[in-house]
This record gives sequence, structure tokens and C-alpha cells, in this order.
Amino acid sequence: MIVQFWGQEFKVNIVVGCIGGFLIAIVSSMFGFGGGPFMVPLMTVVLGLPMYVVVGSSLLAIFFNTLMGTMRHYQFGNFDGLFFLIMFPAAILGGWIAPKIAQRVSPTVVKRVAVAGLLILALNLLGVY
Amino acid sequence: MMHRWLLSAALLFSFVAMPAGVGVAAQNAPAQKPAGAKAGAVTVQIDKTELKNGGTIMITGKAPRGKPVFIEVFAERTVRASRFDADVDKETKKRPYIFYMTHEMPAYYKIFAPKDRKEAIDKEKKEGKKWSVSKVLKDTGADAVYSAPTKIKIDRYQATLVGSIIGSRGSIMPAMDDKDNARRSMQLLKARFRSLDKVLGAAVDVAPDGSFKAEVKIRSGLAPGKYTIVAAVDKATKSAPVTFENKISFPLLYLKNGGTSLNLIGPFLLTLAVAIFGVLMGAGGGFILNPLLVSIWPLPHTIVAGTVMPTVLFSQGSGIYNYSKIKFISWKLGVAIGLSMVVGGFIGPKMTELITLEQFKFVFGWILIILAGLMFWQTTPKYLATNKKEQAILKEFKRKAEESARKK
Repeated sequence: MIVQFWGQEFKVNIVVGCIGGFLIAIVSSMFGFGGGPFMVPLMTVVLGLPMYVVVGSSLLAIFFNTLMGTMRHYQFGNFDGLFFLIMFPAAILGGWIAPKIAQRVSPTVVKRVAVAGLLILALNLLGVY
Repeated sequence: MMHRWLLSAALLFSFVAMPAGVGVAAQNAPAQKPAGAKAGAVTVQIDKTELKNGGTIMITGKAPRGKPVFIEVFAERTVRASRFDADVDKETKKRPYIFYMTHEMPAYYKIFAPKDRKEAIDKEKKEGKKWSVSKVLKDTGADAVYSAPTKIKIDRYQATLVGSIIGSRGSIMPAMDDKDNARRSMQLLKARFRSLDKVLGAAVDVAPDGSFKAEVKIRSGLAPGKYTIVAAVDKATKSAPVTFENKISFPLLYLKNGGTSLNLIGPFLLTLAVAIFGVLMGAGGGFILNPLLVSIWPLPHTIVAGTVMPTVLFSQGSGIYNYSKIKFISWKLGVAIGLSMVVGGFIGPKMTELITLEQFKFVFGWILIILAGLMFWQTTPKYLATNKKEQAILKEFKRKAEESARKK
């Protein structure tokens, strides 16, 4: 498939993209997260697209998954309205505060902290400690 | 061609629009008084009729001399419990693949046994996660008085692989007989309450003359509303039920689907912190939020996954809106991959209820390790060097896009 973006043309192996997207969608809707951190490497590394094409388009792709996942979870009675009302304002507020402090912290440092945090959390979930 | 699309879209939505039977009919009280209970043979009193988010209740009473006394305590409010039976059947050597589900599980259920049964309880505790409700009830003799959950309505579905893929629970099977229903209710009890301590404890002091007393601790974070206490020595000899009220007040809130009362400030601050951190590291917060939520509060993983997802939806939507304003989205690419993701998103939520919390945590652990690997790779010098160039190009393109959007 040929994708045009701001006057440039990119050849995309859409079969690989769709299979990857399908698998990411199953896992992310099963465990209830967005899937962006997996989608971006898929589109940049596997499909070979530059970052500026990926930032917006990957968001659009995972939006489809999140929308469908939300409806299905609602259908199965997995949605708790009150719980949502607690978390939703916090998420919006977080999205408003974060850009204000973003310039003061280095993304590399944040990511390194995240790596350590994710590993600690992962070992806890796997029952190592 | 167009017609076919419309038809499949309509089908899709009719699927989505049928939650009525699934989520709503959850508030039926479980059947309470057993038929033919001999009133008078066992009497029971409590020292208070109201608790504030849990507390201690002193239960005293009198039973026939020389008999063990069990006290059953359960909430009037009910929650959903489900279990997917894929264990090999001992007799037929086949995996049954049956999905059991009830909306009538008491939001709290516990049997307090005589103190001399502590040993049998501790023995079962050594089984770890493999403990069994039916076995421990039998070993302690509490099976004779296990009554409130036996009559809950349990639906069972014959699941199939194809059914699970197209997102169907499977065909509903005929109702079980009383004995089977009681047996399955025990498995659902474990699926809902997970740990042995929450279902059974040794707390009753029985004197030789038959009088008994028990100091019963009702933990915090439980459902508000009416709780029923019944003391019994066997199936036929029970006290009349006495009730107390568990009250919770703001900022404690009861999550009806989650079956848990919690202080709203906790999840609010956690979500806030995770959302900020998520934006800073360039990944959504769901990865960190979900495992923390199921670890900190006794919430079912299905509820956590099903409620965090819509929370993410809006931040994604606003992101798409911002990018689309400056025409920074390839709609062709996004929609093409998005369509395959719709299919995945249709299947995933069905799988959530087929797995147990332990399996949820286990797989999530590995997902986080992969994610940590990805994050680490993004901090390596080689990646940073390429990324610097990429980001410069990205900025340049964005600037152009914003300019042309302004001109219009």
C-alpha cells in the first residue's frame, strides 16, 4: 500500500501492519490499556515509517481498538460508572499538568525511571517477591 | 459492496447493544431462610446493629449442649462472580470448557467456625493458591451449615473456541440441580473472594453448657447495607437471622460492579500521578495503572480493564483531534491498520473474563518486561542519536503543518 504524507510517498507492507495491529489489539483490549508503546515500534521499526508519519496515525489506529474494546467491556458488564467518574477527571487533569512540567524534565531520564519502575512492578506481578 | 458493509456494521452494533441481560440484573438478594429451620433451638444476639465501614461485633448465643457452633455472615448486596472451568475432568478425562457466572453472589460471605477448627483451616492454607472451598468446608464440618450461597442462580455456558473468537459466551446450558449448584457456588465463592481468610475463620468460643460467643471482625472496604447473621449447629438447627447495617460515608464510595468500598482519593491520586508520568514518558498510563489497581484494591481484573479503557479513550480522541487540525494524520494508514485492530478489540474483552486474576497478573508481568525492554532500547545512545534527527524532522514538518493550517 502506498501512503502519501506531506508530499512524500511511503510503501507500507499493510499485511504485516494489520497482523501486528490485530495482535496488539487483542492483548491491549484484554488487559485494558491503550497500546501506543507497542504500536509505535511496530510502525517505525517493522514497517520502516518515519516518526512524523507515525505519531498521529498510530493514535488513530489504536483509537479504533480502544473504542471497540470499550463497547465490548461495557457489553460484558465490566464497566463501573462510579469508578470511571473517579479516574476520568484525574486522567484529564494529568494530561493538563504534564505538558507544563514536560520542558523541565528530560524524556530520557523519565524513560530510565520508567524502565526501573516497570521491572519492579513486573517482578511483583510475576510473584518473584 | 456498500450494502454488505452497512449490513455488517448493523450486525456489529446489534451485538454491542445487547448488554441488558448481562450487566443490569445484579441486585437480587440471595435466598436466605432455609425451609424448616428450627427456631428456638439456637439463639443469637449481637451487641450492635450498626458498623461504620467495618468493625468488631460481639456475637453471643445459646445452642444445644456439646454441639459445634458455626456462624454464617453475609451481605444483602450481591456482586457478579464468574469462573471458566477448563480443568481436566477426573472422570471423563476431558476439559469441559464451561463458563459459570452468577450475579447473586453475596458481596460479603464468611463462615466463622469454632476455635478448635483452626488447625484444619491452617492445613488448607498451606495449599496456597490451590485451596478448595469444598474441601476446607468438609474438613472443618462447616459444610453442614453452608447455606446462603447455595441457592444463588448460576448460569453456565458451553464455551467453544470459535464462540470465544467471535466473542460469544457460548450457548446457555440447562440449570443445575441443587447439589451441583451448591458445589459450583463454592468454586465461584473462591473465584470472587480469592483468599481462604475471607471466607472462613475460627472465632467461636463454645462453652460446655452450649452457650457461645464470638468476636467477629468485619473488615473495611466492604459493601454497605444489610448484613445477616445466622448461627447453626447443623443443617436443620439454626437460629433466626439477626441483621446489622454496615454504613459508609463520603469520601468512601461503594463500587457496585467492583463490589468494593474505597476512599475515592486513593484511585484519584494514583490515576493523576500515572497520567502525568505516562504523558512524560510518551506512553499511555494504562500499563502502570491496571496492575497497580488490581494489586492495591480487591477489585476484579475485569472491572479494572473495562473501566480504564474508556478513560484512555478521551485522551486518544483529543490527541487525534489536535493532529487532524494540522492535517498530521495519514487517514489511509490509520484506518487500514485500525480496521484490523477493531477485530482484535472485539475479541480481547471476552478473553478477560476467561482468565483468573493470577493469570491476569502473570501475563501482565511479562507484558511489562517487554515494555521495559522497549523503553530501555529507547534510551540507548544509538537510538537517541537517530531519534534526535527524527525529532528535528518531526518538528520541522509540524511547523510547516501548523503554518499552513493557520493560513487557511
